[in-house]
Amino acid sequence: MPLLARLSDPRFWITLAALSLLVVVPVALGSPFAIHIAVTICVFAALSTAWNIVGGYAGQLSLGHTIFYGIGGYAAALLIQHFGLTPWIGMLIGAGASVLAALAIGYPCFRLRGPFFALATIAFLEVVRLLVIHFNGFTGGSAGLIVPLNIGWAWMIFQDKINYLYIAFGLLLLTLAVSSAIRDSRLGFYLTAVREREEAAQAAGVDTARAKLSAAMISAALTSMIGSFHAMYLTFLEPATMFSLATSIEIAMFALIGGLGTVAGPLLGTLLVVPLAEAARGWLGAAANGLHGLVYGVVLVLITLTLPGGLAGVLGPRVETLFNRLFGPRKRAEAAAPPARRVEGAPGETVLETRDLRKMFGGLVATDDVTMELKRGEILGVIGPNGAGKTTLFNQMSGFLDPTSGHVAMRAPGGAMTTPSSPDGFARLGMGRTFQIVQPFGKLSVIENIMIGAFLRHPAVADARALAHRVARLVGLDHLADVEARNLPIGDLKRLEVARTLAIEPSILLLDEVMAGQNQADTQKMVEIVRAVRDTGVSVIAIEHNMHAIMSLSDRIVVIDSGKVIAEGDPAAVVADRKVIEAYLGEDFADAQGL
Amino acid sequence: MSVTAQLVLNGVMLGAMYAIIAVGLTLIFGIVRVVNFAHGEFLMIGMYAVYLLSRHAGLHPYAAALPVVLLLFAVGALVQRFVIQKLLNADEHIQIFATVGLSTAFINLALLLFGADLRAVDVPWARQSAAIGPFNVLFGHVVILAAAIALVVGLHLFMQNTALGRAIRATAQNRYAARLMGVKVERIYIIAFGLGAACVGLASALIMPLYPASPTIGAYFVLTAFVVVVLGGMRSMVGAFLGAMIIGIVDSLSGYYIAPDLKEVVYFAIFILILIFKPTGLFGFGRGTE
Repeated sequence: MPLLARLSDPRFWITLAALSLLVVVPVALGSPFAIHIAVTICVFAALSTAWNIVGGYAGQLSLGHTIFYGIGGYAAALLIQHFGLTPWIGMLIGAGASVLAALAIGYPCFRLRGPFFALATIAFLEVVRLLVIHFNGFTGGSAGLIVPLNIGWAWMIFQDKINYLYIAFGLLLLTLAVSSAIRDSRLGFYLTAVREREEAAQAAGVDTARAKLSAAMISAALTSMIGSFHAMYLTFLEPATMFSLATSIEIAMFALIGGLGTVAGPLLGTLLVVPLAEAARGWLGAAANGLHGLVYGVVLVLITLTLPGGLAGVLGPRVETLFNRLFGPRKRAEAAAPPARRVEGAPGETVLETRDLRKMFGGLVATDDVTMELKRGEILGVIGPNGAGKTTLFNQMSGFLDPTSGHVAMRAPGGAMTTPSSPDGFARLGMGRTFQIVQPFGKLSVIENIMIGAFLRHPAVADARALAHRVARLVGLDHLADVEARNLPIGDLKRLEVARTLAIEPSILLLDEVMAGQNQADTQKMVEIVRAVRDTGVSVIAIEHNMHAIMSLSDRIVVIDSGKVIAEGDPAAVVADRKVIEAYLGEDFADAQGL
Repeated sequence: MSVTAQLVLNGVMLGAMYAIIAVGLTLIFGIVRVVNFAHGEFLMIGMYAVYLLSRHAGLHPYAAALPVVLLLFAVGALVQRFVIQKLLNADEHIQIFATVGLSTAFINLALLLFGADLRAVDVPWARQSAAIGPFNVLFGHVVILAAAIALVVGLHLFMQNTALGRAIRATAQNRYAARLMGVKVERIYIIAFGLGAACVGLASALIMPLYPASPTIGAYFVLTAFVVVVLGGMRSMVGAFLGAMIIGIVDSLSGYYIAPDLKEVVYFAIFILILIFKPTGLFGFGRGTE
């Protein structure tokens, strides 16, 4: 949402007023303990919000996030100690170092799945901590490091503790603003897509590695700045607390308790748990050593068992309903749908070709030296018995599988035949593909699913939304626009698959059994849609078992059996071909027909 | 030369200790498909149990192995039954958070009950050296090595030769097909989780004479055990055993030849490299299932 629209929304002011209680209440109470708790809440809420960008939005469960917190703290402290540099600048240098660290860790680790990513981040954290201890001449080692106590705003060290709260609150606001901006941007949608289904995101042209690395870099920079501030606040740094696994876990835990992947969740979780723990520590003292951790652990397990959506998952919809009743529905920037993209190029030229394409899975030859061409503006039907290798062929044509030998090339917008190196590379050049086994982003609404495709050529959210609505109308999903995709029946999911692919405005369309699971009327409609799309200049390859549909749709048919092209040509000629009848019905049947 | 040989021998002894813990972790991951981040805390619970039994009931730590193995089996089975079972179809990150939460809760419960002090059980002869030719090993380590070999061989025989073992292997390979064949998958998971925890129960009784118990002792051992499991291909007990030997030897050699405080850096670096470049483990045991 543009800034101006946001500033005129009462929701914004109410949220800000509620947040400012974090400063107002401790100031009114005037007690150092209240101020300390408020600073701690701001710091941990900010850390958790920053973590949520990677751990929640992108679903990459980092348990080593204190690497960046520690780098920020140590960078600020060491720059004061060795160069007399103000922590305000040290904070930025630390953030730069953390961004580099995030790249170095994220680049290799983002290919790991779930628990193994988490383990790898723990391993990195351990390595960094041990190295900081080892190089004690520079870092002070395990004995720790005392921040030089120069008092004043320039040095971020104060006698009046309330000043710390101003800075901590400012950092919290900054982190929330960044998190909220990402949520409402293309990157936010892309991260959710990557979390839900990485392959489908790639097919929609999302450079998944880049999206995850962007999230990691932003998160690391914010975490690092908070670390710099917190080091100034604590005035003492040691590897065990700055690079602590327990703190890493706590940060992630607050986000889960509040609601993973929501803007408000991490703050809510922190607000719920930190005051409890700090109060217990304050009242019970050393006798309660371990009590707060026990509470954290138990709350965490209970949340996973009862409220996997966290507090925000429960409260969010209610607050939304309340706000909508009070202020009317949330205003959304509307935009006219961008004009439909015209596909450029001479009709009839080759837009996609395979040469001697061979794919082996162990000893199995899935595609056996397939050579074929797709002409511009043509609808090519691919048929063949189950297991013939049709989907494997598609996977190679769209970059999801590397051929064992042979090659694939598609015509780039400039006119040259090229072979992109990744599925999203294929998509960006105009390759749209659907998946035979549908790949919806389950937790996104129908319209948001389609937007993931639309973002490829329209980075602005309003444009992507407008285009998505147009595509939804085209395939007949407009009445379901706000339904979560996981609640759709299979027929609608098939159409959603097509809609998301059409939204990338492809010049080549690969349709993998999109008629399956559709009723007669819908099948007829799908045939019409494909024809309409072809008429805008798009070239289509369709794999289909629905013979009636494919015969009426296709200009040309290729028949594949056991990985080989066994017949090719005009639909009527192909169905009469003896080899084709044998492949489908067996030799005996062919003999009996007297062919 | 003899220094290196002695170091390798030390490494094998150390590896035997990791092997027992890692075999338990492998059982749980290989069968239930859950990475148990609370595994180290099972070890910690076991060690405190051994401590209490020997302190208050006068049991020798080795004699405490039997009750502690049973106790840990029960702990594991309960965790599976009341936590993991309910999350089998949940998102992966929810499963991770659940075991991480358990780990946090257990560590802090121990801190609350026992404080941060180290609790040791004195078994003098376990810390005495035995001479094998020109080399020296601790008696306690010899016992651990023997137990580790017995455990791997025993579990292997159990898995290959009993009906329950076959049901467990079937479940590990394909839980749906196993269910169709009449295997009670939920029960298998409870048993598998219990067995995995029981392995650490055994480990805790054997380790107690050599290392004092503390609330965070679990993290110390189990991070290494994770390295071992990944090295061994994550699903194979033999892989875990060999991985443990390798990590033990790397630990011992790098502690001497590089720097004592950097040996973890060395094997965590190996861990990260294996995860990234050879996720099926060093010996390729990770392939071929589901």
